[in-house]
Amino acid sequence: MSKGRDKFNIHSKAVVCQDVDLKGDITIGAGTIVHPKATIFAAGGPIVIGQGCIIEEGAIILNRHREVMRIGDDNLFEIGCRVECPSIGDFNTFCTRSRVHNTVRIPSYCVIGAGCLVVPLEDEILDEYTVIYGPAAEKRVWSGRGRVQEADLRRKHADYLKEMLPKFNRLRRGDGA
Amino acid sequence: MPPSIEFYCPCLASTPHPPPPHLASSSYSFHPLHNLFFCEECDAIRCNRCVMVEVSGYYCPNCLFEVPSASVRAEKNRCARNCFMCPNCRNTLTVVPSDPPDTGAAIVNTVGEPPFFLYCNHCRWDSAEVGITFEKPTGLAAQLQKYEDSAPESLEFERLKEHYEPHLRASPSTGPAAPHSHHTHTNPITAAASSALARDIPGVGKYTPHSSSVGRNRSSRNKGNYNEVPDYRARVEIGSSNFTMGGGGETDVDLMKHLEDMSEIATLEQRWENSWMTSLQTGDLKPLRIPLHSKKSKRCPSCRHILIKPEQKAQSVRYKIKLVAANYLPAITVSLPHLYAVLAAMRKPGKTPQLSDIESTMHAGKTYSFQLSFTNPLYDPIQVRLHVQRSLPSSSMAEDGGGPSEKRRPPFSVTLPSSAFPIAAYAEAWEYEDDEEMFGVEEDDFDGGGGGRGGGREQGRGRTKTIGILERRANVTVIGGEVAISKEARGNIKFNMLVSYTYRSDDSEPSEEQSTPSRAQVQNREPEMKTFSFYTAIDLGTIIPREEHKSDAMEY
Repeated sequence: MSKGRDKFNIHSKAVVCQDVDLKGDITIGAGTIVHPKATIFAAGGPIVIGQGCIIEEGAIILNRHREVMRIGDDNLFEIGCRVECPSIGDFNTFCTRSRVHNTVRIPSYCVIGAGCLVVPLEDEILDEYTVIYGPAAEKRVWSGRGRVQEADLRRKHADYLKEMLPKFNRLRRGDGA
Repeated sequence: MPPSIEFYCPCLASTPHPPPPHLASSSYSFHPLHNLFFCEECDAIRCNRCVMVEVSGYYCPNCLFEVPSASVRAEKNRCARNCFMCPNCRNTLTVVPSDPPDTGAAIVNTVGEPPFFLYCNHCRWDSAEVGITFEKPTGLAAQLQKYEDSAPESLEFERLKEHYEPHLRASPSTGPAAPHSHHTHTNPITAAASSALARDIPGVGKYTPHSSSVGRNRSSRNKGNYNEVPDYRARVEIGSSNFTMGGGGETDVDLMKHLEDMSEIATLEQRWENSWMTSLQTGDLKPLRIPLHSKKSKRCPSCRHILIKPEQKAQSVRYKIKLVAANYLPAITVSLPHLYAVLAAMRKPGKTPQLSDIESTMHAGKTYSFQLSFTNPLYDPIQVRLHVQRSLPSSSMAEDGGGPSEKRRPPFSVTLPSSAFPIAAYAEAWEYEDDEEMFGVEEDDFDGGGGGRGGGREQGRGRTKTIGILERRANVTVIGGEVAISKEARGNIKFNMLVSYTYRSDDSEPSEEQSTPSRAQVQNREPEMKTFSFYTAIDLGTIIPREEHKSDAMEY
């Protein structure tokens, strides 16, 4: 693991709690919320997180390769999930305790169900609106109906957290290297 | 596999002796304690195999609505209210409004806009994929009713019922004026069942309850219904090509020939929820009504005493009557103390090994000690005696031995204290004394494996106590035993153990409470001790055979 210098580029409107484990070169966009006890390790290369993402407790975002790991806007990383994909689009949901391997590239509007393991042997790009569910990680394509309501719900979720989290947790003030 | 113990239920067998536990077929007679019931009248263990089960009520698992038994048949065992099941993943569907039109304002109405459809939160299937949408979010059952009624299967079923109903109603009236009340069925389906039972079978004498009117019955019944029923003609010819419904006709073959992707065919789990065969395509799967669940009550098979009776309300999981074996029999757990030393050795940083990770630790030719802890559920103290049954070697052993009669030595021998040991009564936690009592070994008796050295022998205090009462704490007593494994043993260590315990029966009352105790009454009121015994099967685990050690030794 290369010993990179810690360089955090946290937007002033992002809400990052003090108890978060950050390591490496990390950029966090506006409106993103990182709960306490989350882990973001930019071990091999930098991680860039977009706007409005919600990263919950116990989530692990790990980049072991040199290339930049880009995460889009309005994604939800639920409790205990472990994500290593090199690129993630917008409005995805990684449900509780899901694990996504490094070989998968995820576009927008996908849902990885609770407890699902997405570990294909070869590089794979999922289709948009893919839903992975069940203990055997079955795949199907969502019709996309209801995405406007879900996007609205995600924004309301983020707004609520932005208001409530600072009242009960200490925030990490953005610091350079 | 960690060591386990299971209890034997004789299931009304004539002999109380259990089958040998190493046979695979005997595993069905042995149950863990939490699966067993106890009948107080018969003083016997009952299990799920021998108990009589009857339905005590029906309810929908989604809305928890109790459905009266009369409407269960009418609704075809499904929930009549708005409960639907996703055909894809069999989760519950929720009613959801459609997305608002894209005006760019990003303000969503809280009530939601029509059209509404059913949506599965787990796999994101929605009913709009099959074209089912609603105008209102309530009253879905009525809205879907017309879809269901127009399906070809239900039309066929209705037609069948209409065809046979007049004949079934007519059949009791063609017979003599019999006072059999059971013939006058209002429901045509049960009438059909009872007249099918009374059907004329060639070669078997006809059963008529009234012998006086035998002649008239026979002639009128023979002429009666079954010659007059016209042939039923189905609505649609079954063999025609456009009506196969998954039955394997021409349409299905065409479907298979033009198949492009495996996911187009519905899986078996998705299709067998229906009452009849449906089409094979995934695109044809419709939301199903949720099937009802039933609450069952269980009775003893011999005395018909109720053992289990659940509460009437669907959402309560408690029971009105709950005669479970755990309230009468002592709970027994088995442990091997040397496993914990192995666990500690296996411990790696950051990873705690579990007992199930250890495959087996017992080597042939050695002696291991094991511990049994007994927990007394009764409010009176009990005295327990143990008795181990001799186990014969399995047939695989005989093959190794070279001759069937040559090596009939049992593969292992188990030593357990054979004297009775007491277990204290169950009481609330604050009633127990703080200091624990440690009892030493009082008596030792070797059992099995070559010669009985009977009689008691006092153990020296200096020796570590492995056999006998190890610990007595609250209402738990821990007993130690030893198992000596012979050199040629292989397989699992399983043996039957008879546990008998003596307790004061509930009929006794202390004589001080009597106002005028006469001598005879005092005699009757003395507590009588009752004994109950049951068999258990103890599995200590697998033996690591000695072969590998021998081959290692031969290399030198």
